[in-house]
Amino acid sequence: MKIAGVAQLAFAPERAYELMQDPAVLSRAIPGCEALERTGDNEYRMKMKMMLASFSGAFEGKVRLVDPQPPTSFRMVVEGSGKIGFMKGDGVLTLTAKDGGTEVSYEGDAQIGGTMAAVGQRLIDTTARMMIKRFFEKLAAEV
Amino acid sequence: MLTGTATYVDDIKMPNMLYAAMVRSPHAAANIRSVDISKAAAHPGVMAVYTGVDIKDVGAIVCGVELPGMRKPHHTVIATDRVYLVGHIVAVVVAKDRYVAADAADLVEVDYDVLDAVGGPEQALAEGAPAVHPQWADNIAFKFEQKGGDTDAAFASADVICKQRMISQRMVANPMETRGCVASWHAADRALTIYTSTQIPHLARTILAGMLGLDENRLRLIAPEVGGGFGCKLNVYPEEAIVSFAAMKLGVPVKWIETRRENFLSTIQGRGHVDYWEIAAKRDGTIVGVKVKIIQDLGAYFQLLTPAIPTLSVLMMPGLYNARNIHAEIVGVFTNCVPTDAVRGAGRPEATYGIERMVDVLAAELKMDPAEIRFKNFVAADQFPFATATGLNYDSGDYANTFTKALDTIGYKKLREEQATARKQGRLVGIGISTYGEICAMGPSPAVAAGGWESATVKVEPSGKVTILTGISPHGQGEETTFAQIAGDELGVPIDDVLVLHGDTSIVQYGIGTFGSRGTAVGGTAVYLALQDIKEKVIRWGSMLLDSNDVRFEGGMCIDNASGKSVSIQTIAAAAYRAMKIPTHSEPGLVATRFWEPGNFTYPFGAHIIHSEIDPKTGQVEIKRYVMVDDIGNILNPMIVDGQLHGGASWGLGQALWEHAIYDDAGQLVTGEFMDYAMARARMMPWIESSHTCTPSPVNPLGVKGVGEAGTIGSTPAMVNSVVDALAPLGVTHVDMPLTPEKLWRIISASQPEAN
Amino acid sequence: MIPNTFEYTAPLTLKVALALIGEGGKPLAGGMSLIPMMKLRMAAPEHLVDIGRIAELNYIREAGGELHIGANATHYDVESSPLIVGKCPLLAETAGHIGDIQVRNRGTLGGSVAHADPSADYPAALQALEAKIVLTSATSQRTVAVGDFFIDTFTTSLEPGELVTEVIVPVEAGLTGTSYQKFLQPASGFAIVGVAARIRREAGKITVARIGVTGVSGNSYRALKAEAALVGKAGSDAEIDAAAALVGEGVEAGADLHASAEYRLHLAANYAERAIRVALSRTA
Ligand SMILES: Cc1cc2nc3c(=O)[nH]c(=O)nc-3n(C[C@H](O)[C@H](O)[C@H](O)COP(=O)(O)OP(=O)(O)OC[C@H]3O[C@@H](n4cnc5c(N)ncnc54)[C@H](O)[C@@H]3O)c2cc1C
Repeated sequence: MKIAGVAQLAFAPERAYELMQDPAVLSRAIPGCEALERTGDNEYRMKMKMMLASFSGAFEGKVRLVDPQPPTSFRMVVEGSGKIGFMKGDGVLTLTAKDGGTEVSYEGDAQIGGTMAAVGQRLIDTTARMMIKRFFEKLAAEV
Repeated sequence: MLTGTATYVDDIKMPNMLYAAMVRSPHAAANIRSVDISKAAAHPGVMAVYTGVDIKDVGAIVCGVELPGMRKPHHTVIATDRVYLVGHIVAVVVAKDRYVAADAADLVEVDYDVLDAVGGPEQALAEGAPAVHPQWADNIAFKFEQKGGDTDAAFASADVICKQRMISQRMVANPMETRGCVASWHAADRALTIYTSTQIPHLARTILAGMLGLDENRLRLIAPEVGGGFGCKLNVYPEEAIVSFAAMKLGVPVKWIETRRENFLSTIQGRGHVDYWEIAAKRDGTIVGVKVKIIQDLGAYFQLLTPAIPTLSVLMMPGLYNARNIHAEIVGVFTNCVPTDAVRGAGRPEATYGIERMVDVLAAELKMDPAEIRFKNFVAADQFPFATATGLNYDSGDYANTFTKALDTIGYKKLREEQATARKQGRLVGIGISTYGEICAMGPSPAVAAGGWESATVKVEPSGKVTILTGISPHGQGEETTFAQIAGDELGVPIDDVLVLHGDTSIVQYGIGTFGSRGTAVGGTAVYLALQDIKEKVIRWGSMLLDSNDVRFEGGMCIDNASGKSVSIQTIAAAAYRAMKIPTHSEPGLVATRFWEPGNFTYPFGAHIIHSEIDPKTGQVEIKRYVMVDDIGNILNPMIVDGQLHGGASWGLGQALWEHAIYDDAGQLVTGEFMDYAMARARMMPWIESSHTCTPSPVNPLGVKGVGEAGTIGSTPAMVNSVVDALAPLGVTHVDMPLTPEKLWRIISASQPEAN
Repeated sequence: MIPNTFEYTAPLTLKVALALIGEGGKPLAGGMSLIPMMKLRMAAPEHLVDIGRIAELNYIREAGGELHIGANATHYDVESSPLIVGKCPLLAETAGHIGDIQVRNRGTLGGSVAHADPSADYPAALQALEAKIVLTSATSQRTVAVGDFFIDTFTTSLEPGELVTEVIVPVEAGLTGTSYQKFLQPASGFAIVGVAARIRREAGKITVARIGVTGVSGNSYRALKAEAALVGKAGSDAEIDAAAALVGEGVEAGADLHASAEYRLHLAANYAERAIRVALSRTA
């Protein structure tokens, strides 16, 4: 599944970039993130719990930040798996200054497998959008 | 009617019975680094956890088909070092109840090294595609070619050649009852009893005995009431062997019932074709040659008949037409998906869809009426038996007659006029025709993997009640009724006096089973022949009792032609068992067993016509009228026959309009349950105007042909032809299935932007 | 298809239920959404509090020019209640579009609202009706406008410990016509697009227009621009088309196997047109 979109942040690209590399910030902003633990350079182990109405699922996985080009772009690779399936997201986030703030555009691929893939098709898109929206809302609230 | 009184596998409960849960791979392709069962094994209530290593002595899954040069994967019942499809079993947990088993299955930890997978047949053939089976460099399992006549010359002589690529998408068989089995081991007798939801009890017994290393006669296999199969239960699956293995190891009965999720993931699916068709014709519409290249998605390994299914498509490719020159090529390809195999129609729907679409494509090219072009090319009534270019011998038929009846029923000429008027108003109205043929009554033994005969025993009990043991295995088709009717007619006894038993290998003599629309045509014939033997003996005993050499048997009575004195079959039966006196050249008892080998397949046919209209604003298809006229030979029970035809038609409409087992590029089935897999529902079905013509089959004494798959085969092309006809004014010549509203809306809006 | 282990309580009073839910119990109403998820192990609540036997949540009554519907009313109750059919036909009509008869016999209004499935039918009608949702916890009760209640995909303003206890909809005056039009997804029966229109026409002019939309995006919404375009108009074909064309404006449409974003938006306009037209034909 392709994922693409834009989000606005009210602060400069430098600040936005910095926040998005900060594990403490990421762990607060990633919806459902319960723990984000550094395992190497720009590599983190993540524990996540997704709760959505009647659904819930625990995931363990990793987050990698690659190809850093501060403050204009980086690639984020998220992998997680749990009893209800697994997911893998790989996307590039590009930051540009706009109206005194930052416009973040993201573009990437998400792959989903296991029970989630087979039974959640009609929900994946809207859920992914909502999670991304929440992520940027939380990020915006960081300043 | 639902009364809740039938016994299905899941209704079987035994003392001390344990429950199995399968641990399945969520990945379509991965190397297994390790399987850690320690947590699962320690879970309270768990009796055993087995992995591929534990079960390595159980034989691999059996495929009954050999094709020249074919690569045959060795598919063990539990994976050891690599998984090949989502749903591949990596371990089994046996526990005191189903819930504990499922909980513990979640605790088995498998470390996978995930590999790139192949999610479809064209992806499998693409340059640089990952190898589904690492021991083979490419994903081609086999190539198969068949020729009849001289297509090169035919194509060279043709005035027009039409080509079209078409897809017959993957479909899930979806019986109402999922698979399931219960195995129990009797150590003292070294005997195993398996209850399993199958269409082929005896073949399954032979195969399982081989896989488990048991004596065949010490394995009792019982197919209790079976809630539908549609071909998917014409198979022996890993779970049946795994559950048997566990029962033998643990010494207590073990049950496994497939969940609907598992059914989507691990029970064979149907179709999965990408076909390239070519048809060559003279300007007057005479078809001179047909070519097809079939790319068959085989899945990750072979179930019982997997590689054979596309070869059935080849046999059926000339349809009802006098096409003397044919050329077919099959490329069977491996994908990381569940295997394809026989699903209702099995190979014939794909071929019929292809040829019936091509005839319409040709008609459009020649600007001929699709009805006219069919009449022009039909095999004529006086040409039977008719040897096809694919090596078949059509038994009987009168295609033009049946087709005429269908055209008359729908009022074809007037409907075309109405269509012309509607088109002037910009409405998208379509009339779709399918004149289909079928290969039924499988079949002569040389042509069927495990033999194609069938058996029956008829026992007239001392009381005169009649018990029939049939080798077929009805699972919803209603042969319990049809066979009782045959016996009732032949012996002159009330139908209620007849009991039909099947599906228990300890009760019934060896049989082949139910598939390939063979139940009545082959199984029923065996019953009929056994009944003739019974009648002969009845007459012998009747003669003795009446003390006459001139008796006839009629309406359940032996009657002395001279005196008119009579004696009933019940009295005769009592005498035959009491045996106070025995006729010369006879013996006590009234039992007969026959094994019948058919000399040919049978070839039903029919004409389906669908009148539809598409809403240009949404792409939604509305079926206005559906007329079907089917010729299945003699009809023994009209209600059962129509039930089969209507059920088949709904199946075929499902393929045309809604159903699609979609795998993504990573081999994940993304329509993996009923919230996304659009199976045809009652509310989506049109009214079906159904009638018959009757051309008895000369192949069997009942004159019947077979009806289980006909509706499925006839309906799909009629629906697609109708929609394509509706879109014809927009220049459309083909649309791939399923004909979803969005797909049609896109076509419509691309060609007439003003409509939106 | 085998759920995890859970505890199950079926209290007979709201008070006990709220106490249990306050302690973390998970409400179970008709189970038509929750049970399938549990069977797939996509949900694993530890303690189910079955609210289905609480008589206090099972009522449909009229008071103060409004209909008060208890959370436990099944879809079939809503579809067939003479009070709702007579006084708030839009809600009854919408209920009749949900799933199949088995689902309608078990699924509840409260459950559907709380679940907030982005393709559920009720939200479109409730948006058009400007319904109010009553949320009750062991210690408080509040009434929330539907627009504030539905936040996003499967997300509402329900707080932990709260139950949806009642849905309040207006009693329609004679001059109002309503309609719910749904394009359904063939597999699930859920709405790919559902549009509810509620229109009042007085002396030949539209005075009130409310259009609720479901299925198009992650959340139900009111198509304010389309509504505004109708007010003051007579309701000619051209005016209906122009208004309907606005229902998807500014909406980030969702996409899945069954419909792309583009098709959803197209259908939204098309079904809005149908809904408006039928609603107008029903204005007395
Ligand atoms: C085959 C099928 C087809 C369907 N088709 C449609 C359709 O076409 N359109 C449609 O709109 N819906 C459809 N549904 C969903 C159906 O309408 C459900 O009934 C509804 O979504 C949930 O209601 P319920 O009472 O069953 O709730 P439950 O499944 O019991 O609960 C759902 C969720 O809401 C919570 N909950 C329940 N009641 C309350 C409450 N009073 N307060 C707070 N939280 C609560 C539960 O904890 C759970 O998280 C379909 C369902 C099925 C199974």
